[in-house]
Amino acid sequence: MEEVKAYIESGILELYVLGQLDAQEQREVEAMASKHPEVKQEIEAIELAMEQYAIQNAITPSAGLGDKIFEKIGLSENAEKAEPIVEAVKEVKATKGAMVIPLNTAPYESKIKTLRFALAACIALLVVSIIALYSAHNELGNAKDQIAVLNLNNEKFTSTVNFMKQSNADLQKIIDMANDPDWKTVKLAGTAMDPKAKMTVYWHAKGKHVMVDNSKMDLPVNDQQHQYQLWAIVNGKPVDLGVFDVKADSTHILVNMKETGSAAAFAVTLEKRGGSVNPTMNQMVVVGNVSI
Amino acid sequence: MGTTKKISLSEEELVSKLKSRDTIAIQALYDMYSGALLGVISRIIEQTEVAEDLLQETFIKIWNSADSYDSTKGRLFTWMMNIARNLSIDKIRSKDFKNSSKNQDIENNVDFIDAQKEVTFNADTLGIKDMVTALKPEFNDVLNMVYFKGYTHVETAEELNLPLGTVKTRIRMAIMELRKHFN
Repeated sequence: MEEVKAYIESGILELYVLGQLDAQEQREVEAMASKHPEVKQEIEAIELAMEQYAIQNAITPSAGLGDKIFEKIGLSENAEKAEPIVEAVKEVKATKGAMVIPLNTAPYESKIKTLRFALAACIALLVVSIIALYSAHNELGNAKDQIAVLNLNNEKFTSTVNFMKQSNADLQKIIDMANDPDWKTVKLAGTAMDPKAKMTVYWHAKGKHVMVDNSKMDLPVNDQQHQYQLWAIVNGKPVDLGVFDVKADSTHILVNMKETGSAAAFAVTLEKRGGSVNPTMNQMVVVGNVSI
Repeated sequence: MGTTKKISLSEEELVSKLKSRDTIAIQALYDMYSGALLGVISRIIEQTEVAEDLLQETFIKIWNSADSYDSTKGRLFTWMMNIARNLSIDKIRSKDFKNSSKNQDIENNVDFIDAQKEVTFNADTLGIKDMVTALKPEFNDVLNMVYFKGYTHVETAEELNLPLGTVKTRIRMAIMELRKHFN
């Protein structure tokens, strides 16, 4: 009993009520209180005194502070009620847990929502991109086709221009030859073999140039095995001046032949491809004398 | 919640409703004890705005940690008061509070405590004024430091240059005076 009195008078119970003791000391006081009713009574008396003291020193809070607090607590209370959990003291921990979840799931759900929107936007973008790509691919194909057509046209045009240039040069040359007295124009007429056949040979005696005029040629088209061979008759003997083809689409008007410084006449025979050493006389198509 | 009628419940009812998370408990606690708790907080932190913020924090903590209250270990008010005191002391010792109120920084000397006594004397309640003047100053200083300024009794003993036993005795004597006054 004396021991208990000394314990009470030590002042430790006041420190207990004032929250001044560590966990170990608190447990000791609680053990003493449960063992000795006097200690428990003393603690209660101290508590009541401090409580009264605090109530006597009360300061009324600003109006509205209570509502602010209730609102804060009420908010979590509403969230709690939204959860279908039985109102039981045992469930308090569970509901406390549930109280936390809505706070966290709200941003989580909105995040999912945002992600869904983002996914939909991505898909839409992908579809648009594919359509754009497909149409671009088609356009590119069209453009390529057009370029190919243009190239073809261009090539045709170029070849036409080349052909015309060549023709023009040849024609110019023919005009020059007509004005040049050194150039002789020899007209070859058809023989008994083909009376309708005719052709023209230009000969420059000083320069030894011999040319065949395609534009003024009217010979049957030769086949692959044969070629026409031009001969100059020099001192009664035939001299080879080279072979030529008669084609429907000849690009050149003038064809250069082998040179000869003298000729009394020109003749053309149809020979095997590449020409012969001596003319096959019965295959002579045209012949014409050189007029002096 | 809009009711203006003050709610008052017995301690058993309060505890049971608080633990079953009935919001009526927090309304009753507010009606019954908000003033007393604000009084405790205001003795530690003078700025009304900060004190009221702390009162709000105190009630939220009471509500959220109702589970941890054990009625066998003490009265509900003691538990609430210690929550309010601990939050206030944490606040006054926090860096941001010290920085925001340098001129009101606690100085670890007795003169400051003596100055604080004046506030105590200025308490509106006439009864308290009588009671406080009835307390011997040396008891009052010790109780003030431990109860309102967040000193541990060990720190108080060092601060006042007193043996630990004397500090304990003085705290006891001060509270005995209060008990005499109220009982």
